[in-house]
Amino acid sequence: MISCTEFIPAYSELFKFLESKGGKQAVVDFWENLSDTFLGNLRELAAEKGLAGCFEYWSRTLSEEAADFKMTLDEENEIFTIDMKHCPSKGRLLEYTYLKPYPNYCEHCDLLYRRVLEPLGFECDVDLSNCDKAACKLTVKRKKPN
Amino acid sequence: MKVMERSASDNQYLHKDFHGALAYAICYLDRRYGEQGIREYLEQTAINAYKPLIEAVRKDGLAAIESHFKKIFEIEGGKFKLTNEGDYLTLTVSECPAVCHLKKTNQLYSDKFCLTTVVVNETVCRLAGIETDCQYNTEKGCCEQRFWRAI
Repeated sequence: MISCTEFIPAYSELFKFLESKGGKQAVVDFWENLSDTFLGNLRELAAEKGLAGCFEYWSRTLSEEAADFKMTLDEENEIFTIDMKHCPSKGRLLEYTYLKPYPNYCEHCDLLYRRVLEPLGFECDVDLSNCDKAACKLTVKRKKPN
Repeated sequence: MKVMERSASDNQYLHKDFHGALAYAICYLDRRYGEQGIREYLEQTAINAYKPLIEAVRKDGLAAIESHFKKIFEIEGGKFKLTNEGDYLTLTVSECPAVCHLKKTNQLYSDKFCLTTVVVNETVCRLAGIETDCQYNTEKGCCEQRFWRAI
């Protein structure tokens, strides 16, 4: 068994393997497929409860992942943010000096969540400018009608 | 305004949904590249991600394998038994925590999911001078993994 505590390096290796088979597009194809079929619980919660559903979804997953984060739900202004101070996944990849992580590892979060949330009427922004320090910021807003 | 703030030490690192993501990945690889693709991926993972375990097994032999499985099965709350007879080590898993979680959460998986055990074990052991075999029943979530020093 690959323990769930050993999954992140295996996940990074998966992206490297897919890229070796079919270039970056093969990795993106996998991410799209995963987003469409694996993130049903986020999709259902966001569709049913809006940004409060996002808060509920990440309350569980980020706690189980023992992340160092601040999550804010501003219902009045319809903004949800996750300020990821230390991502446990990227943090591990940076810490494991024997392993060469997939260089675009952090992009999967952007694609996976954007693909779920935008069709539900949300704007999604992921700031990955500090991902080399295992930090990032996700902002989700209700799309304003034109 | 609702705020939730946590530091890493507030929670135990145990996100069992990762088993679902891995099971999904195995099904995906099977569709795209077949069983050979799954094996290639897992071999690469074993070589790169399990480097410290390979080194520990080279140094300490079966004791390192025993210690590795004891640690991960205890963390995950699996039902298992380790029998060390000196030259032979047997890991009997009566309830695999990964398969148990996949079933409980209705995740997509196939019997090829257990290749994650078979191929990683085979690769780690091959590189560390240990022989291994594994008999498994994915549906029942049980297996018997045996390890012995290569002659």
